[in-house]
Amino acid sequence: MTSRPVAITGMGCICAAGNNLDDSMASMFRGTRDPAPPLNFFSNHPIRYPVFEARDFVEPPDLLRTSALGLHAAKEALADAGLDQDFLNTLRVGVCVGTTVGCAISNETFCREYRSLSAPGMAPLERILRSNPAAVIAREFGFSGPCQTIVNACSSGTDAVGLAASWIRTGACDIALAGGADELGRITYIGFIALLIADESHCKPFDANRKGLNLGEAGAMLVLESEQVRKLRKKKARSFVLGYGSACDAYHLTAPRPDGAGLKSAIAEALACNNTDPASIAFVNAHGTGTPENDRVETRVLAEVLPGVPFLSTKGYTGHTLGAAGAIEAVFTVACLERGAIPANIGFATPDPELGGTPVTENTSFRGTVALSESLAFGGNNSVLIFGTAGGE
Amino acid sequence: MKIAIQGIGVVGGFGTGVADMRQALLSGVSNRSSVHLSNCGEPLDLSALRAETSRLNDFVPIKAQRRIDNFSKLGLLGAYLALEDAGVLAEGPQERLGVVIASGYGATGITYAFLDSFINDGDICASPTYFANSVHNSAAAYISIMLGATGPSSTVSQFHLSVPSALQTAWLWLAEGRVDRVLFGAVDELSELIGYAWYRQRGRADHSDMIPLVTGRESAIPGEGAAFLLLSRQEEVQGGYCLIDHVTTGRFLKPGFLRTPDELLILGADGRRDMGANYAALTEKSNIACFTPLYGSMPAGPAFDLAVASLMLKEGKTFASPGGSECDFPAQVVPGGSSLEGSRVSSLTLSDDDGYGLVNLTQL
Repeated sequence: MTSRPVAITGMGCICAAGNNLDDSMASMFRGTRDPAPPLNFFSNHPIRYPVFEARDFVEPPDLLRTSALGLHAAKEALADAGLDQDFLNTLRVGVCVGTTVGCAISNETFCREYRSLSAPGMAPLERILRSNPAAVIAREFGFSGPCQTIVNACSSGTDAVGLAASWIRTGACDIALAGGADELGRITYIGFIALLIADESHCKPFDANRKGLNLGEAGAMLVLESEQVRKLRKKKARSFVLGYGSACDAYHLTAPRPDGAGLKSAIAEALACNNTDPASIAFVNAHGTGTPENDRVETRVLAEVLPGVPFLSTKGYTGHTLGAAGAIEAVFTVACLERGAIPANIGFATPDPELGGTPVTENTSFRGTVALSESLAFGGNNSVLIFGTAGGE
Repeated sequence: MKIAIQGIGVVGGFGTGVADMRQALLSGVSNRSSVHLSNCGEPLDLSALRAETSRLNDFVPIKAQRRIDNFSKLGLLGAYLALEDAGVLAEGPQERLGVVIASGYGATGITYAFLDSFINDGDICASPTYFANSVHNSAAAYISIMLGATGPSSTVSQFHLSVPSALQTAWLWLAEGRVDRVLFGAVDELSELIGYAWYRQRGRADHSDMIPLVTGRESAIPGEGAAFLLLSRQEEVQGGYCLIDHVTTGRFLKPGFLRTPDELLILGADGRRDMGANYAALTEKSNIACFTPLYGSMPAGPAFDLAVASLMLKEGKTFASPGGSECDFPAQVVPGGSSLEGSRVSSLTLSDDDGYGLVNLTQL
């Protein structure tokens, strides 16, 4: 079944690479990154693993940092789309946000106090309960459309954009804010170290000497808009969601399926949505975590399904931002399509003969109007988005 | 498009499976249990409606369950029961099966076990197994792995609106032809710290039984469990329970969302004092029923309401609302045994931030 392209009319993001989309893009094309041991929390682990913190960002005391990051990106995206509150009040607006930390009912201080028999107060949990990322954004702007927080681990952001595109197509809402948000914290930091998939040095996606990921934090949002509203306000689209696909490996809780069958299915579904010719894909913004398994499976699938298509991972600039990753990579993919260039895959130096290919090693211009962004996740989720700058005009 | 409910899998305070739920609906009684709280100033046992997962042994070898936490076991059991109820359990790998899970709180027991692992012994001793199981989509992952379900999988967490929100996703997947079936389920577990949080927020109930149709009283009893529905496009199946006509969500402060006051409304009212008045105000002159006393108060509750509605529509008659005869809502409580021929049943859920979810169901 083919599906109509859905217009993207605004974008916003915040991450370690920058407090907004323009700054983040400029930083990546300059080839700069600055991961360092965490400043916002302490760990007594003997190794100080580098992370990518959004250092200048301070969340308000009544909100989870995750939700505040999402709200920050949402405000930039709405401003970029030229949508003001008075006009939004006349529309049915949906919010779809992917996250991991933003819905976790876990607080270390609370847990420590409970275990130490001191009957903790409820303030930490009440803060979590009023910080559901999608609900926070809907509440802030008074939106009354569908509101959903997706918790599909590291594919959450990709899935949120894909679902929101369906909302627009089916008329569930006139406009959808879709994206992802996740904060850095001790619990995920310690968890990924325990899983032995964190790199003690700067992450090196697709490199022969890669040892794992560096965690990051981010918020990224896209404004998806119905053709009816876009015509009404004569708004040019920045790009279009041409396709979305997702499939489950049904293989392992944390490891990708070695034959990449789930990822292949997701790519095939995304291509079929709008009959996208694989040869038209100008580049792939890969998941590229820098873990041995992910990068092996992913490159082998790309070599088989999209041979010769340039690819990169932007996680070398942002860290792995978990539930926000798919969203911020979607935003970067669209911005790169507009620019006609992709940044170098930072951290890559030595080709790995076991991989299906090597990423771009310098800022690279391309011709073409279509690009693909993909996410792989705990739970075996594989999710793919295809964007095109000319798909729906 | 309409969606057919082909099978139901439920586990909760009333027991395990449709037969146990039906028996509880007829008797109006569930098995009261408790959650032990070791630190509330002094230890206490908080009254609760707990679920137990021993029947999972019928479907999954015990050895294969050894690393699966309680949250995912609840989900797995609900999923298997729904497939068994639909008569499709023996079909093998499900390539065109989507999995959609709703959970308000996620895997809180294993999450706090993970925290314990490094609080007790230092960050270097954190348990990778506990961390891997603590992600919200762990139940969906185990279900996909065990069933060989390679279609799309998604988990939704929207607190008390998790169920209607996730059901919208299941609906879309079927409408778009992405899948042939969706295993839709809601799961919530009552871990000790969720129990503690409940106690701190709500205290002990001021009534021994849940009386959700009485405003101004705190009678909520926390529950846990899983409720699963196997969903298909109407035109592709025969039999089953009923049809889902519409799923809508929004804000109830915007007027006019309840346009069908004549149909039977199953309310998600669950004895929380702060929510009762909203339900009462919105359902004036409606025909209502409420079954939360059978499974307790939890974000997954509306999925149990859908299971009850399905059973009523299949049998063509109502069940009596448990919780005694007490009601001060300006509405008509429908008695048990009333005919439902040609009628619609809707499930209404309200959140504490003025959101609502409304699911309209009809007979096959």
